[in-house]
Amino acid sequence: MTGNTMKRIFLVLAVLLPFCLRAQEVAVGLSGNQAQVGEPVQLMVTVRGARGADVPQTLSVKGLQISLTGRSTQFEMHNFKMSSTLTYTYLVVPQFEGEFTIPSFDVQIEGKTFRTQAMKLSVRGGARVPQQMPGFPQNTAPAPVPSGQPPASAETGEPFFAELILSKKKVYVGEVVPVELRFYFNSRIGGQVGERPNFGGEGFTVQKFSNAVKREQVVNGASYVVFSFQSAITAVKAGTLEIPEATLEARLQLPGKSPQGLGDFFSNLPIPQGMFTDNRDVTLKTKPMQIEILPLPKDGRPEDFSGAVGKFTMEASVSPKKVSAGEPVNLKVLVSGQGNFEGMGAPLLTGDEGWRSYPPSDKFQSTDAVGFTGEKTFEFALVARQDQTRTPGLRFSFFDPSTGKYSVLTQEPLEVNAKAGGAAPAAAGTPVASQADKLAPTPAPTPAPVSTPDVATMAGGSTSWASLFFRRDFLIANASMAVAWFAMLLILSIRRFARSRAGRELARKKLLRDAFAGLRVVEPADFYEKARDYIFLRLNAGDDDLAAAARIDSTSLPPEFKASLHRVIERHGETKYAAGGAAPPTADERQAVIAVLKELEARYEK
Amino acid sequence: MKSSLIAAVLLLLGICARADTVSDARARFRDGEYEQSAKLYEQSLEKSPPSAAVFFELGRALNKTGQEARAALNFRRALILDPRFAPARTALQEANVALGIPPVKQDWRTQVVERVPMDALALAGTALFWAGAFAVLAAFFPPAFRGRRLVAGILFLLFGFSILSVSWVCDPRIALANTAVVLTNGGTSMRSSPADQSEKIASLPQGSIVDLLSQRGRWFYGQLPGGAKGWFLTEGIVPLIPPA
Repeated sequence: MTGNTMKRIFLVLAVLLPFCLRAQEVAVGLSGNQAQVGEPVQLMVTVRGARGADVPQTLSVKGLQISLTGRSTQFEMHNFKMSSTLTYTYLVVPQFEGEFTIPSFDVQIEGKTFRTQAMKLSVRGGARVPQQMPGFPQNTAPAPVPSGQPPASAETGEPFFAELILSKKKVYVGEVVPVELRFYFNSRIGGQVGERPNFGGEGFTVQKFSNAVKREQVVNGASYVVFSFQSAITAVKAGTLEIPEATLEARLQLPGKSPQGLGDFFSNLPIPQGMFTDNRDVTLKTKPMQIEILPLPKDGRPEDFSGAVGKFTMEASVSPKKVSAGEPVNLKVLVSGQGNFEGMGAPLLTGDEGWRSYPPSDKFQSTDAVGFTGEKTFEFALVARQDQTRTPGLRFSFFDPSTGKYSVLTQEPLEVNAKAGGAAPAAAGTPVASQADKLAPTPAPTPAPVSTPDVATMAGGSTSWASLFFRRDFLIANASMAVAWFAMLLILSIRRFARSRAGRELARKKLLRDAFAGLRVVEPADFYEKARDYIFLRLNAGDDDLAAAARIDSTSLPPEFKASLHRVIERHGETKYAAGGAAPPTADERQAVIAVLKELEARYEK
Repeated sequence: MKSSLIAAVLLLLGICARADTVSDARARFRDGEYEQSAKLYEQSLEKSPPSAAVFFELGRALNKTGQEARAALNFRRALILDPRFAPARTALQEANVALGIPPVKQDWRTQVVERVPMDALALAGTALFWAGAFAVLAAFFPPAFRGRRLVAGILFLLFGFSILSVSWVCDPRIALANTAVVLTNGGTSMRSSPADQSEKIASLPQGSIVDLLSQRGRWFYGQLPGGAKGWFLTEGIVPLIPPA
């Protein structure tokens, strides 16, 4: 393929490219619809299907500072269809608390006017950081375009460089100093950067780094992508502190050379980045710097100073307001502001005679990414030794680096109604463990004298670790009771059934069956007696011949059948009462009687 | 007959031996030999059934030697065996003060166990339960159905069951079966996952108690009385109720 042919192909692509772009769209969105005072949020205007748009540089909303900070472009190609997305990013910094509406505004795209939607932003005052956070570098949030003083490296036109921004050059021991590491990459460079920079050294501690904030920034006319990481350092000793370089690893796709003879042509085309690139692993380094660390002044240092350096406020509350004897009240102290929360001790209880206090638990809630701003909650458990109507007071000392002096915060005692506790309130195995480190130096209480030896004789209780429920004798006793209960249930059920109509009928049937079966095997002398018994049983005639005869007569049996039954009864009388006894029945006679009785059975069964 | 006699003699000998050891331990305690006294109490507990009095005295001897956490553990054990043993409760509170363990508000179960002996409560509940069960049975059978007997039986049955349930829930030997005490010097740390470098959730000072939920290797997964859950090393974690 000759150079001319390639030129033609790319010329056709260049002509078709605008038609391949998708329909133009404009969308706006906030990175969050809730924020705290001083906490920046991002407003993004996304333009699709266009290669450029005119947007306002600033937006005017009372209480919100809104300025355009950068622009990014993204090209995508799917199935030879190209789409582009332009994103304009504004930084919105709330100035005070309230509900705000960011009004709609116009976006011009190739002569057409698109109107955005209005957005709502709710701002709370929790951060207690009105305006700019003192101590934090001015550009901790994505920087405006262009941002203040350009970094020196930018003047040389380097494709990538790094800088460390420190707001103060003189700090006190223990003072938390926010730092920001910025890593600049020319917009034409693609690639990947490390997750976290390497930063640290002797003589200071470094907080955990925030997640990287990525933005676009124009420096000396060149567009850079900036990755910024925020943290804070705390010096641990006085003197000159050498802050070493911070580094960040990156794998970059540096612009490579286009095919020979086509350089001019490609440079005029909106070709996606990365088409002609060289991959290279690089390490970006900031410049080392020095800062002066001042010792905390000894003059005016309060006795209860526990190492807090910063600017703080203190609030306290107590709950419950009324407790019975021996029960603890919870004195909750909220220390909020900016400073070294990690090195901060607990406030001091004042006027706590008559109270038994315990080392407080503490919990820190940061309102920024680096733990510089926030609030720390101390909770004291207090048990009254004497009846009390007020809690102890509180005193908290700290060193304020902005004034160079110590400050003392005090809290008056709070109203409470607590009865003196005699017995210990703690139950076996239920005291609450402290939920956080004990940062405050806590004086070790002196163990109280223990009771005299003979109190041991008061002890009783169990002599087994197994509960009664798991002891063998208890289980056997209960199992026996259960067996007895079920046995009784069975016996009573049987008796109840036997007394029931169905039970009685069942018993009678059995008797009849037995009586009839006995006729076949009985001795001849007893045959008629058994036959008579069977008739009596069958007819429910009791044991009286006359009554049985009357019963036979009262039935609806055929007369000849009744006569047969009478004959059986008479024959029984003869065999029993005749002198010398009657002759035993012959086999035929027995068969005839059994036949009669079988017929009787059959008739009654019907 | 012969074997019963031998068993009785052995039991008597055991009691006598224990009495000797405890007497010796008490004598050592009076003489100020607290460590020796504690050892003798421990020997006694190894050989004989557990006793609230002996655990209490062991805790007191350990307290004298400055081992507050172990003392607190034994006071707790004494209270498990006899929750109404007020001196052990007071001693536990004092040990907790020394360890910096704050007290907590008593819940209803604590109030129940401090007032009523658990075994007696369980026996009463059992008796009522079975009385009710047999009364219900009798109500349904001859000579005739008895409505009043049935109602009384059901009431007894339910009342007995309720008492048994309360006894089950309150009995510290059941409620604290999976509870352990931190005896590690300097306490231990509760972490978000079973790894040394994982995030620390809370510090557990020596003497803290935790409910053990599971174990993975040399890590326990447990819950603090405040509800927080996490992992901590098994070293220095001693069960409140000694393993059988």
